Amino acid sequence: MNTRLILHINGNEHSLPDAWHGRRLLDYLRHELSLMSVKEGCGEGDCGACTVLVDGEPMCSCLLLGGVLANRSIVTVEGLSDDHRQRFAQLCEQHGGLQCGFCTSGFTMMSAWLAEGGSETGQNSSDKLLAGNICRCGVYQQLKKVIADLL
Amino acid sequence: MTLNTADFRQRALTNARYTADLIPQNAIVAGVARSPHPHARIKNINTAGALAIPGVLAVLTAEDFEGIRLGHNDSDEPVLTTVARYVGDEIAAVAARDQQSLLRGIEALQIEYEILPHAITIDDALDLPTSIHDSCTDNITDRFQAARGDWYEIESQVDIWVDNTFETAAVPHAYLEPRAAVVHVKDDCLELVCGSHAPSMMADHYRPIVASWGSQLEIHTPAMGGSFGAKWQHSTHLICLLFAHRLQQDVAIVLSRRDDMIAGRTRAAMRFKMRIGATATGKLLAKETMLWSDNGAYSLHGPAVMRAATFRADSLYRFAATRSEGQLIYTNNIPSECFRGLGITQSTFAQEQLIDELAKRLNIDPIKLRKMNTVCEGETTIHGWQVGSCGIVDCLDSISNRINQYRRNQTSATNNRYRIGYGVAAFIHCIGNRGYDQHFDRAYVKLTAMPDGRIRISSGEVELGCGTVEVLIKTVSHELAIDPQQLDVVLGDTAIGPHGMGSFASRTSFFVAFAAEDACRRFNQMAQHELLQNIEVTGIYQPDNVVVPDESGYGNISAAYTFGTHGCCVRVDSYTGKVSVEQYWAAHDAGKIVDINAAEGQVIGGVMQGLGYALTECTAVDDNGQLLNPGYLDNRVPTFADAVPVDVIFADTFENSGPAGAKTIAEQPIIPVAACVANAVHDAIGVRLNRLPINPERVWRTLNHDTNS
Repeated sequence: MNTRLILHINGNEHSLPDAWHGRRLLDYLRHELSLMSVKEGCGEGDCGACTVLVDGEPMCSCLLLGGVLANRSIVTVEGLSDDHRQRFAQLCEQHGGLQCGFCTSGFTMMSAWLAEGGSETGQNSSDKLLAGNICRCGVYQQLKKVIADLL
Repeated sequence: MTLNTADFRQRALTNARYTADLIPQNAIVAGVARSPHPHARIKNINTAGALAIPGVLAVLTAEDFEGIRLGHNDSDEPVLTTVARYVGDEIAAVAARDQQSLLRGIEALQIEYEILPHAITIDDALDLPTSIHDSCTDNITDRFQAARGDWYEIESQVDIWVDNTFETAAVPHAYLEPRAAVVHVKDDCLELVCGSHAPSMMADHYRPIVASWGSQLEIHTPAMGGSFGAKWQHSTHLICLLFAHRLQQDVAIVLSRRDDMIAGRTRAAMRFKMRIGATATGKLLAKETMLWSDNGAYSLHGPAVMRAATFRADSLYRFAATRSEGQLIYTNNIPSECFRGLGITQSTFAQEQLIDELAKRLNIDPIKLRKMNTVCEGETTIHGWQVGSCGIVDCLDSISNRINQYRRNQTSATNNRYRIGYGVAAFIHCIGNRGYDQHFDRAYVKLTAMPDGRIRISSGEVELGCGTVEVLIKTVSHELAIDPQQLDVVLGDTAIGPHGMGSFASRTSFFVAFAAEDACRRFNQMAQHELLQNIEVTGIYQPDNVVVPDESGYGNISAAYTFGTHGCCVRVDSYTGKVSVEQYWAAHDAGKIVDINAAEGQVIGGVMQGLGYALTECTAVDDNGQLLNPGYLDNRVPTFADAVPVDVIFADTFENSGPAGAKTIAEQPIIPVAACVANAVHDAIGVRLNRLPINPERVWRTLNHDTNS
């Protein structure tokens, strides 16, 4: 029996086709909705490049199957406020918070979560909260400044 | 890629598009069947089962690429192979309409193997009863020797020798964007879209191959999610190109992280036997190096890396005589490739530990010992390098001051469990290397007045995040007195050109700045008698003071040289063996700094990569050649939680041969990190860690005199 499965993605309602119930959210976002900010770095939940917010919590979209997300709200960088995106980009420019830019979507999502007061532990432990996002160019020190200025 | 001043902002806004973002909806997907064995002959491949699967369109095997090889000079890597030489070697390729058919197709290939004896270590390879390549019976694919000075005369003056054996690990580049390629079919031209740090050089190699199929080739490089020396020629490119040619449809391939780590590339693992001799007062006299470099299964830049590692680090000091020998050895491991710092990163790990050891034995401060012996401005080094500006003494003093200051304010002291230690290490590095290739010390920049009145700057060089675009925009807007908003930059597009050597040896910004200045001169000249819309000029830069070095590597290979010194404070947990870096200082002589933010970014990023190399990263392989850690979880690159405070200092130097007095900063920051950490660990626990990585297990075993360390 088929159930109509609704996902709320960046504020829009999407009815998930049956074929996608058992497939990764990451692929649905990229291939079906062309939300190309969502990057695949590892496909194993280690690098954080594909981070999205699910009901306000950051999660790796490579580890989520479409079928488990009924009625959930999903936000990608494309769904963030223009204000937040511009501010984050401007701070990255100011502090050198990126080089190749492949990890930037993941950090943008984490910054949006932190800015929304997502973590009770707050700014002091942001190093540990951000440890799931890898930047191989290694500009963590600069990203710390970006996050600190943002919060 | 077409870029303008807003390029960085586009990446920051996550609007930049990388290869995998540019796959057309209807593209054919390609994949590869890989060898599960480290060394095996392919007896037979039955493709019928795969071709019978609905959705599978075509299969390629070694026959389809007869006579075609990948590589720089000693091309030895087939696109698809009849002899598997490492676990992951490409045996066959499948093209399908969708991912599921593709995976079924790869599974349905029936491949019969005849298992051959394999070698995972250098020693195994030297003892192996069979050869890994028919053309190389003893598995030593390249040898290099260099001798300078009167060795026997100098040797007799030596009062004290320090010697040791050092081993470095193979590590993956681990760029965040896995390898991907898209091929578009456009009339009689195949367009390859992929990240690469050297697209022109790739096109030089691929064009004759594609021409033999009756087609033309252009390469476009979109935004690239890291290369660090890895993204260059790769079998996946030719597989996609041939499928696209045969099927006359767009074809794409994207490697999984696992496949990328199995069949990507690594930094070569090396073993050094090295000794340094000095007088009792600390004057360095002689250095002898024997190097064995694990090439892996195929050569690529293996010979260049081995040569560099054998002798180039010597040039930092005024040795009176050196003897160096290097061997490059085929093993059944992942092919090695250039990786930030070439082989200098490895040899500096060895050399700077011996200098530290010598300082301890002579009871001389390690900074002072280095200051007594480093080369100076105006000198020619033992390998023929003509040193221009040289800020090494400034760098050594800065690090000394920072460490002393930190030490005074340091509250945590060594106790029974935690041991505090300080270490330093120094380096020298070139800017380009004339010995590499005829084009190598030359760069071109083209300026084209476009119909809409904008000026297009194009170059075959690419942007790796080091600021190439910014250098071009700044130079051209200044020289042509034009608003930067009126400029577009197109890099790494072979259809537009001009030819570019690519990003090797920290050369790009230095070279393109001069080539852009030359292009502007030509542009301004032409503008005096020509209508603006007719102007297209190409500027060229080739340093006039460099030479192609002789067979032993002697000669001035680079227009200028860069220097630096790093220092760090570590805390070693003697209960667990964990090394924590408490504070890091990095002093660099990069000439006059053009953009402090970008320069600091290169240093901090390079130090972080270096800390991964020093402490956690390695490719762990079992006795059967199976990679045990093909992912970020088990092959741990530094994360946010590992970030240490890095204090960046730039020496105040001006390089007369450089653009606006600048030298370069790109590879340099990774070079001395592992040695610096190892010296600090030695200071903390009194035992020298001469193998990488310096992970908790190794430190613990060393502290507990466990022989398996």
